[in-house]
Amino acid sequence: MKSQQVRSVVMLSVGALAVALLPGCQSAQFPKDAPGAKTVGGPSPSEILKQYKQHSPPPLISGEDVPRFLDWAGASHVDEREDARKVIAAAGNKDVVQALIKEVERVKTLDHPRALLALALLGETRSPAAQSFFVEFARRPLPTDGTIIEGEIIEQTRAAQLQAKAVDGLAYANNENSNKVVTEIIANHPSKIVRAEAINAYLWNHGDSDEARKLLSQYVRKDELILIDRVRRTTGETAESFNRKLDDFLKQHPDVVPPPPEKLDAVPKPAYQRRAFDVKPPIF
Amino acid sequence: MKIIRKLIAVVIVSGMLGIAIDANAVCNQAAASQADRDLWNTHGCWQQFFLWQYQAYGLNGNEWSGRGWNDACNNVLEYPKHWNGSYLMTYGLLDNNDQSFHGTADYRATAEAASSNFHNSIHDTIADGTANFGSYSGGTVTTFCPLYDPTWQNSNPGSRSGDFQHEGWHAWMEKYNWNNGSVGGHRPGPSGACTINGCDYFYFHGISKYVFGAMWENDGTANRFHSPNQVQVEYLCDVADQSKSWVPASVRLAAKTDADTRAVQRFINGPGYACGSARPW
Repeated sequence: MKSQQVRSVVMLSVGALAVALLPGCQSAQFPKDAPGAKTVGGPSPSEILKQYKQHSPPPLISGEDVPRFLDWAGASHVDEREDARKVIAAAGNKDVVQALIKEVERVKTLDHPRALLALALLGETRSPAAQSFFVEFARRPLPTDGTIIEGEIIEQTRAAQLQAKAVDGLAYANNENSNKVVTEIIANHPSKIVRAEAINAYLWNHGDSDEARKLLSQYVRKDELILIDRVRRTTGETAESFNRKLDDFLKQHPDVVPPPPEKLDAVPKPAYQRRAFDVKPPIF
Repeated sequence: MKIIRKLIAVVIVSGMLGIAIDANAVCNQAAASQADRDLWNTHGCWQQFFLWQYQAYGLNGNEWSGRGWNDACNNVLEYPKHWNGSYLMTYGLLDNNDQSFHGTADYRATAEAASSNFHNSIHDTIADGTANFGSYSGGTVTTFCPLYDPTWQNSNPGSRSGDFQHEGWHAWMEKYNWNNGSVGGHRPGPSGACTINGCDYFYFHGISKYVFGAMWENDGTANRFHSPNQVQVEYLCDVADQSKSWVPASVRLAAKTDADTRAVQRFINGPGYACGSARPW
């Protein structure tokens, strides 16, 4: 019996040792100090990209389709934006809208990018049910305690970012009721993140017109009026166009020019180990 | 029968040991955000890249032990998430001189370890904790759990590599002896338009004002200078609006959200620029 127990212990030890050595064995093909992998390496990204089937969104007919559609939407490419918009426009039924809302609620503290995606698609529907949800969602109290980084409660910031995305949906609806809510948010929302996005989205949806700026100036806090003139870099905008806007902004607000940068008193620099690694990254 | 029992015991003990190997860290190792998963699926387990990346970032296996160093293609672990961020920065930008704030050459030189005009040699490590996204001290960039735990908003490839920019820029400031303030290399706050405690100035500049590779330059005045949060915002904006076609929508959306948030929260003379369209999708 004793010898059996000894044999068992030996076998267990051998098994344990084998597992402990496994990573080392697998990284034997790599340089000594390199990371290792427990799975087989794959092809280069350019090969993977060739397999991607562009402009093929999955169907979005019922609520059951929403998770799969969100998976596709998250992975979709820049030039597939219109594909998603077309599918959403055709599918704006209550079932789909409710499933998107359900997904926002499910992932809002679990998977931030997915919650942003679901809110983005909801906003694109412009549906009354989505609008009602946004009005309630954007007014939810923000967390007042949590994890603090540089004086910022990051759970509060997380919630405010999602509320700001909901406000994008309200502003995009651009009707009397939604605009009323957006201007209320601009005036009274407790988070600057949300107020700033409400201003940006309202202006964008009104063509950045002088009339819209004038109207907003009635609602924006006095110490935040500069947000009405904030410079936006539009996707695909040329340097000439952006630089002209920036010049105008700086002329309007000369007070935003910062003071000259300051030098530290000269101190001897610590002697860090010098690294000279000039190998180019592998070809995509 | 006895042999089967022994084999089962071996498997159980081995499994327990396997868990123990990765149980050193307290960062959430259970999942990856959709943005991380979507970007990962564009490259998969591309060993050539991470075998380059660990050298380019000066990573040391002892410091990344239990965080995917020996499981570099398991995308819920910290090291795979780290190289996922580097991958985005290395290949994901358009580098359009007429539209991008800066180019890949700038962002790579800021984040990577090698000594250059951008900074003296640095290296990247990781630590548990939630008091920071990242930190820079004495040639070491440390990133923390909020960049790896998918329940937090900055656990996505854009925000993570944006933090590489931020910390790398502290190394730039150190190299050229700039004083950016006493609160972790920032100015105390709230102050002016900055709502947090760790504020910077935004040194506004037009597009095409820096040729690619010249972000490190300054003229000693506010006309040609960058702060850490500004470099981060400009990088995130370039990910959001000036990325290659294949960069997933979830990555671009998360980057835009981070950029827009930073731009209104972290600058004394803010706001910084807003990125892209306000259309929901």
